[in-house]
Amino acid sequence: MSPIIDVVAPRLLAPAVMLAAALIVKGYTDVGEGFSAGVIVALAIALRYVALGRTRADRTFALARRAHLVAAGGLLVALAFGFAGVAFGRPPFTHLPLPGESVMRIGRLEITTAVGFDVGLFLLVSGGLTVLVRHLTGLMPADETEPEGDG
Amino acid sequence: MRPGPSAHSVDRLGPLPTVATAIAAAAFVAIVASLVAGGGAISLPWAPTLGLRIEFALDGLALLYGLLATGIGLLVFAYGAAYLPRHLAHEGRPRAEERRFWPWMTLFLVAMVGLAMARDLILMFVFFDLTAVASYFLIGFDRHRPEARGAAFMALLVTGVSAVALLLGTVLLQAEYGTFSLPELFTRARPGPVTTTAAALIAVAALAKSAQVPLHFWLPRAMAAPTPVSAYLHSAAMVAAGVLVIGRVHPLLALNPVVLDALLLVGFVSIAVGGVLALAQDELKQILAHSTISQYGYVVVLYGIGGPDGAVAAALYVIAHAIAKSALFMTAGAVSEATGESRLSRLGGLGRELPVLAVASGIVAASLAALPLTLGFFKDELFFAAASGKGPLVASFAVVAAALTFAYLARFWLGVFSGPRHAEASRVPWLLVAPIAVLAILSIAGGILVAPFERLAESAAAVTHGSAIDVAPGYHLDLRIENVMAVAAWGLGAVLLVGARWREPAVSAISRAGDRIGPRRVYSVLLSALNRMSDAAHRAEVRDLRTSLAAILVPTGILVALGFAATPTEGAYVAGPITSADLPIVALLAVAILAALTAARDRGRLRPVLALSVLGFSLAGVYAVMGAPDVALVAVVIETVVSLVFVAVYSRLPGTTVGRPARAAAASHRFRNAAAGIIAGVSAFAVIWAALSRPSLGGSDAAEQIRRTPDAHGGDVVTVILADFRGLDTMVEITVLAVAIMGVASLLRRFDRA
Repeated sequence: MSPIIDVVAPRLLAPAVMLAAALIVKGYTDVGEGFSAGVIVALAIALRYVALGRTRADRTFALARRAHLVAAGGLLVALAFGFAGVAFGRPPFTHLPLPGESVMRIGRLEITTAVGFDVGLFLLVSGGLTVLVRHLTGLMPADETEPEGDG
Repeated sequence: MRPGPSAHSVDRLGPLPTVATAIAAAAFVAIVASLVAGGGAISLPWAPTLGLRIEFALDGLALLYGLLATGIGLLVFAYGAAYLPRHLAHEGRPRAEERRFWPWMTLFLVAMVGLAMARDLILMFVFFDLTAVASYFLIGFDRHRPEARGAAFMALLVTGVSAVALLLGTVLLQAEYGTFSLPELFTRARPGPVTTTAAALIAVAALAKSAQVPLHFWLPRAMAAPTPVSAYLHSAAMVAAGVLVIGRVHPLLALNPVVLDALLLVGFVSIAVGGVLALAQDELKQILAHSTISQYGYVVVLYGIGGPDGAVAAALYVIAHAIAKSALFMTAGAVSEATGESRLSRLGGLGRELPVLAVASGIVAASLAALPLTLGFFKDELFFAAASGKGPLVASFAVVAAALTFAYLARFWLGVFSGPRHAEASRVPWLLVAPIAVLAILSIAGGILVAPFERLAESAAAVTHGSAIDVAPGYHLDLRIENVMAVAAWGLGAVLLVGARWREPAVSAISRAGDRIGPRRVYSVLLSALNRMSDAAHRAEVRDLRTSLAAILVPTGILVALGFAATPTEGAYVAGPITSADLPIVALLAVAILAALTAARDRGRLRPVLALSVLGFSLAGVYAVMGAPDVALVAVVIETVVSLVFVAVYSRLPGTTVGRPARAAAASHRFRNAAAGIIAGVSAFAVIWAALSRPSLGGSDAAEQIRRTPDAHGGDVVTVILADFRGLDTMVEITVLAVAIMGVASLLRRFDRA
């Protein structure tokens, strides 16, 4: 593995998450949504696994081992935002706040049910792809030559 | 060595049967209580846009079947609480397997009560299929035995596939009259071809469920189930569901007399086939199973006769039969439990050792054979009255039917309890006898005081017939036609019983002929042909990667071609002008074409993959230039992932070069590959060209969605469509995605060493 990738790979996750956050935050008014954001974060994680090998990547990034929980949580979040309105007698996927009502904002982020749904989608995609990446790198012959940890 | 089950462990009642029996008892009490309170109805919106409502009502028919399902359910559950531990001990299985029994029994009961009370056809279909699902798991309870699995599958297939006819009929009626609700349908429906077709389809589903010829063959096989299941399934649950549906939709069936005549015919054929085959059987439960085919044939005949007489006779018949048949099945189970034998030829003379069982089962058998002083006498009185009103032909069939019933029931009871003794009987626990005794007492009580049963049957028949009915069954010591027919039936039945010498060759010949050319043979031939076809298609598809791809692309191409043949193509294939603004697109597309050619022609490994990736990125560039930045973004990230996965997977492939045999095989498949490629490629080309020829927004959803995007507090139409306008679609898609990821992950985990 080239030294450049060795150095870059572990440090790429933070910018990737920033990019993903930007895509979600501005996504509702501009290009991009949760799906692309999720794939981008998963790509950064994949690079880390390919560069460091399964064992080291697992050790330095504990959350990846719980990626299946992130994916399941994302599905639940999406379901919750989609069907929460049903409990209040509205049809599923009612857009809240309703058209014409004012929207709460945090900076440029507009808090609506659709954005919440998008966050769930992001968690599902990034978590699910990370699960696959972890298993695939477990199959990689490269990982077998990696030092199995030094402690 | 597994320690033998001690008497103590099988006698101890587990929590599950106690809970299930308590549920049955509570449901029974609830139905009786609401009867006292004067019935009740629930009507809630379910899917308002489809006009679906959750509509339940406790009318006469619901009351009858509800009381049967819960009352007989209560007794059968109590019996099962004692029976199942012994059954599991015989089979050498742990007590914990009761877990796989009682929930399904309870579902069986709930589904039956739901079906009885449902007033909406879709709701009826749901409960109808729920009984089939529950019966599948119950019939296949002894899953280590292949015949139990086969029987469960057969029951599910025959009743489940024909239940689709019920759904078809329902949809036809909805399309014609605009409602799923039965009370509304009854007021709106008029005679006509659509109504007749729908009624016939519903009748087919119901007849298959009630095991009527020619879809009767699943029922005798279903006796592979443990005895409590058979007792319940034959009397008050699964099989009764069929005649319940007929009784419920009877006003629709009665719109066309041809449908009723068909019922009459099917019913009589079922009586004859079931009755004759019941005489041919040796195994106790087989005799009873064939008897059930015959007995529900009576009910179908009565619904075919129709009118007030037929409706009330059918209702009373269902009550009397349910009481008797559940008790007879429980008798068969108790006898097998006591002796270890289940064949008539190895049993006999048990009357002295099991007196209570003998008397109780004698009473219920007499009731089913319609002897006086039992409830069953009145069912046949009404049956004869209804049949004689339909002319001498139907009346004489009715006498023969009753004679067959008398003969096989007498053969059953006398064969088990009288004559020389063939097998020793051990003590039978009281819980295996008490439910039978209760049912016997009910039969006798009904024979002395028929009024409560008569009122129940009348109120059920009022629903079936559509208006109030009053009949007066009773004992009359005179030469009225019903009495003459009854005496003639007993006489003929006694002749059949006594004349064993010529009866046995005849019935066994019929039975053998049925095995050779009967519908069960057709079923198994069809099933194995279907299986072979599926295997052949599967083998062809998975032979190599190219056939797997062709299996997707070629049918798609053919379907698209058919779609084009049926669609007007005027104005669809426009080649617009190319302006200077289009130059970037042309350049990107040229790169894409070169990459595609490389991917197809290059014999290397990594180069085609990289060429595919170039192709994907240049298409993403086209999207970006054409003003679809959202699509371009997704295309870029997806293309990146796909390229990486390709490279990762290729790094796992063995490093050998393609050998001579593989090359020869590839050459021989060249024509096939080219044909598949042309079909798929040309159809894809045609679709894309047609789509790009009319990119107009006028009148489409898209214009409306663009207009309303500000309402959704959004600026980006694509994102708003995905997350909001089409949010439900996206939800379903990501659920599919999650399931797919789970599937792939579970496959990968098998090879993952960590």
